[in-house]
Amino acid sequence: MQMESRVTEEGIDTSILVQPKKSKEIFIKKMMTQKALIAMSFPFLIWLFIFKYIPLWGWSIAFQDFKPAKSLLDQEWIGLEHFKFLFTDPNFYRVLRNTLGMSTINLVLGFVTAIGLALLLNEIRHAKFKKLVQTISYMPHFISWVVAASIISYSLSLDNGIVNIVLLKLGIVDEPILWLGKETWFWGINGVSDIWKNVGWNTIIYLAAITMIDPEQYEAADIDGATRLQRIRYITLPSLKPTIIILMIMNLGYILESGFEAQYLLGNPLNLAYSENLDIYVLKYGISLGNFSLATAAGIFKTVVSFIFLFTANHIAKRFDQPRLF
Amino acid sequence: MFKSKIFMVLLMFVLLVSVAGCTKDESSSGKASKSGDSKEPVTFSYYNAASPGKDMNTNETVIGKELEKQTGVNFKVEYAVGDINTKIGTMIASGKYPDLLVPDAALPKVLDAGAFIELNDLIDKHAPNIKKLYGPYLNRMKDKDGKIFFIPMEASQGFIANPNIDQGAFWVQRAVLKEAGYPKIKTLDEYFKLIEDYQKKHPEVEGKSTIGFTALTYDWRFFALSNTPNHLAGYPNDGGVQVDMKTHEAKVYGNNDDTKRYLKELNELNSKGLFDKEAFVGNYDEYLAKLTSGRVLGFFDYGWQIGQAEDNLKNAGVDDKRYMALPITFDENTKDQYLDPPSFVSNRGVGITVSAKDPVRIIKYLDNMVKEENQKLILWGIKGETYEVNDEGRFHRTEEQIAKTSDEKFREDFGSKIYEWGWPRGNGLYADGNAWEPRRQAEVAQMSYTDGDKKLLEAYGVQVFSDLFAKPEDRPWYPAWSVQLEEGSKEQIFSQRQTDLQKKYYPKLVLAKPSEFESIWTEYKKEYNALDVKVYEETMTKEIKKLIDLAK
Amino acid sequence: MGKKRLFKATRYHSGPGDYIFDVFNYTFMVFLCVVMLYPFLNQMAVSLNDANDSIKGGIFLWPREFTWANYQHVFGEASIIQSFVISVLRTLIGTLTSVLGTAMVAYTISRKDFVFKKFVTIAFVLTMYFNGGLIPNYLLIKELNLLDSFWVYILPGIIGVFNLIVIRSFIEGIPESLFESAKIDGAGDFTIFIKIVLPLSMPVLATVSLFVAVYQWNSWFDVFLYNSSVPELSTLQYELMKILQNSNASMSGKTAADAFASSNSSANSVTPTSIRATMTIIASLPIIMVYPFLQKYFVKGLTLGGVKG
Repeated sequence: MQMESRVTEEGIDTSILVQPKKSKEIFIKKMMTQKALIAMSFPFLIWLFIFKYIPLWGWSIAFQDFKPAKSLLDQEWIGLEHFKFLFTDPNFYRVLRNTLGMSTINLVLGFVTAIGLALLLNEIRHAKFKKLVQTISYMPHFISWVVAASIISYSLSLDNGIVNIVLLKLGIVDEPILWLGKETWFWGINGVSDIWKNVGWNTIIYLAAITMIDPEQYEAADIDGATRLQRIRYITLPSLKPTIIILMIMNLGYILESGFEAQYLLGNPLNLAYSENLDIYVLKYGISLGNFSLATAAGIFKTVVSFIFLFTANHIAKRFDQPRLF
Repeated sequence: MFKSKIFMVLLMFVLLVSVAGCTKDESSSGKASKSGDSKEPVTFSYYNAASPGKDMNTNETVIGKELEKQTGVNFKVEYAVGDINTKIGTMIASGKYPDLLVPDAALPKVLDAGAFIELNDLIDKHAPNIKKLYGPYLNRMKDKDGKIFFIPMEASQGFIANPNIDQGAFWVQRAVLKEAGYPKIKTLDEYFKLIEDYQKKHPEVEGKSTIGFTALTYDWRFFALSNTPNHLAGYPNDGGVQVDMKTHEAKVYGNNDDTKRYLKELNELNSKGLFDKEAFVGNYDEYLAKLTSGRVLGFFDYGWQIGQAEDNLKNAGVDDKRYMALPITFDENTKDQYLDPPSFVSNRGVGITVSAKDPVRIIKYLDNMVKEENQKLILWGIKGETYEVNDEGRFHRTEEQIAKTSDEKFREDFGSKIYEWGWPRGNGLYADGNAWEPRRQAEVAQMSYTDGDKKLLEAYGVQVFSDLFAKPEDRPWYPAWSVQLEEGSKEQIFSQRQTDLQKKYYPKLVLAKPSEFESIWTEYKKEYNALDVKVYEETMTKEIKKLIDLAK
Repeated sequence: MGKKRLFKATRYHSGPGDYIFDVFNYTFMVFLCVVMLYPFLNQMAVSLNDANDSIKGGIFLWPREFTWANYQHVFGEASIIQSFVISVLRTLIGTLTSVLGTAMVAYTISRKDFVFKKFVTIAFVLTMYFNGGLIPNYLLIKELNLLDSFWVYILPGIIGVFNLIVIRSFIEGIPESLFESAKIDGAGDFTIFIKIVLPLSMPVLATVSLFVAVYQWNSWFDVFLYNSSVPELSTLQYELMKILQNSNASMSGKTAADAFASSNSSANSVTPTSIRATMTIIASLPIIMVYPFLQKYFVKGLTLGGVKG
């Protein structure tokens, strides 16, 4: 393919890789024709550098016994001490397991439910009803976790909880279940809570993507006598694929971000072994003990893991010739 | 493209409006002369990280207006909203402080940063009243070089117990006491027996099962459970340690027989079905709801954590469902020590920062407010308006005055909310024998007692509720939890790990089959002893001995 | 023509399978609405219920002891109106600038032949996964002289990287032929961006506007961090946070030391639970109303159908 490439009128040329010398000239030439694009993006690159990259000097405190009172140069350098604290603490591996477990569950459930809801909403033909459902389904996103957690906790309680009441009425269980007291169930409860709160919100982006679909496709399908499920299967879903893949890659980078508030608020002494995640751990041993260095070290660790997941996912997408992030 | 033009015009318009609308704040530090004697009006800034409140100027309140009249000083008050470590951290990083700062738990960081100016000279020259009020404690305010950098919140003058129990106690529903004929209950066994008997007779309350005993375990409030064995063994709330009265050695009790004994009792209670199944699951709101439901017969807690539930029951007028605090101990002859001894909390306070332009006027202001007449103004208010004085010179409040002074809006406008806490002040008793603050004055407490309260007090032959509790012994180091551990130190990490371990094991120990209790306890103790117990105990002992020396 | 298409689509039922599908779908949606609406109605009920009575729990959809007291308490704080204006301003300006800026960069990295495409993309994407930390960020804001200013709400968030990628994906879906014909007509990239990309991207711009608007509206931490000493720049969420914390004296800390402090304050006539419920209603109703308004841009076929037809 590279062999066949030609310089086209627009200047698209993949032979850059093959002929380094000539390519430099072409690169400059091309750059000159793209002044507008450069003018549109470079000011924001400067912004990016100032607001996002400059504060990265803060990472140095992960290698120091940081005391906010001293200036940066007077800090005591202690190397990888804080990383050692993390990696030698058995609790760290437990919270890491919980973080990965919960974020995987949230990721998979989150994608499936959001896409599912978007597809179902797309099949509603009463425009007003559809709008109503859309709006209502995203409302829990605006409830703070404190409120959401107290509603969840109450719904799962022994005597008054709606969940136990319904299960008892239906004869599924004989006596009420202490939901939040079962440590191994916590990941599931957390996942469902997250869906409840965010599925409507997560759906918005797919609904926007669906508007991209050419209506003629549906018309053609109708003429061919396609059923609703066939339309979903062969038109809507494939059209959403690029969006899904891009979002998937981005979210894989957040694999160590399993949320914080839900676990903190729904956590209790009985489910602690499974509810405590990385962020709670950092809060307890870093921030609340005034140990910013440890918190920063944990942040760096998270970034490294993010990058590994991000680049791997992007690479896999590339290998399978799918849309990718970069 | 008509639309995009509108878009642009709109954008421009909004930008312009917002530029016009945003003004920089110029007022903060005093611009007045540095003489210190001047009464020229000046405004300083004050930041309080210890308690939330409404941001305002002190001279917008009655008390603040009066103090401004006396000194010419007004404070622009700001309260912490989010995490205080964050906020104080940004102050330190930027070197931009308010003039007067209450850093609360972030105090060590502020001291480390050298953000507070030395007060020794200022106090000597300009603050005779502070010197007098804090006299007994001046040594404890000094750091190892003899320098004073902040003024602790409160200096007790003599002892007076709060007539109502706001600290730790075993609480029992009044109906339980009534039915048993108001027995005198002293030991834990008697207490649990009382509850068991009542529960047998009344297995249900309004169609739901009666809960014999519950515990508050949610989030940081878990300490209400882990502190209990210490109280049962006859110690006050000294945080994580028991301090020997003779040797002054500090020992942790998380792994000792007191803790084991209490957990074993709870374990038995659980096997009898008397312990709340949801005690380790419910959050704070659910806990309060449970207490107001009338289903709970007993629990251990600190009074200040159940205020909302108590208020609710009191307002509803259901006296039988309210709770009474009892000083329960393990054994008959253990002297209870639930009431706080006179204490001096030396790791919290208010300091003048390096950003302050006129420290002299600030210290004079603080000095002026600890004068007895101003302390009475701040805490009691104005005679004839918020309190009365009888022929013997005793202060008291009428029912209307009590209602008025507990209204939030009034407290805000009057200035009580700003001034009650977060400035130098006294506590205990005035020279004339009145309580420093109204809530400790028996006359005030008695005025708000209901008929049910009076009946109960009569049945036990006491005037106020705290009369049932033993007088606290002298503990010059009290409270040991105010010992400042170095941030990120082994001692501090020990505390955190201890809590983690207790949160993991206490539920197991309580909910286990009685036959399994011993083996779980052994497992727990093994893990516990693997922590840095020694380091922690040594530091605590050292610090406590230091405090004792300073108090001499 | 549009009407005809709509009619065709609504009328069509190709068999019993579709009928069953519809029954299932509508039933499910109704169920969903009940579950999703509940927390809101519940908070509404709690906010209209006597604070002291709410402690008992058991408020579901209807207040037990009706009162306006919680709202009176919250609105009794004089600064609510002023902070509401600032909130609206930061939401409007923040959304407009961010959407414009983000779309502009998104356009450049959607151009397959842009020589810096990959560089710019990666430079932005990486920042999603790291953070220099609170103190360095604070010092940066201080050095840029943005402390105590309105612009600290706008500038740091001018590009949202997630939104950037979302918009880019959308622009990549616009047929290349449109750009080519515009170029042949002599249009430059900026003209193409303004005249073709922006109008064609309305659905995604509406989506991103919603994301940014919600973020801006809900932010209070930057107010706390950078502008807390300037009451004129306070926002609604921050004021509500203050009222909440104020009602919440005993939650101010995690140690027994704070217990000591809080035991010195008297019982509150409002409770955190009631204030939080009231806040939830006051703060979220205005922003929730934004979505239905933006939904008109979500109409299928508005973009491509429009161009082709």
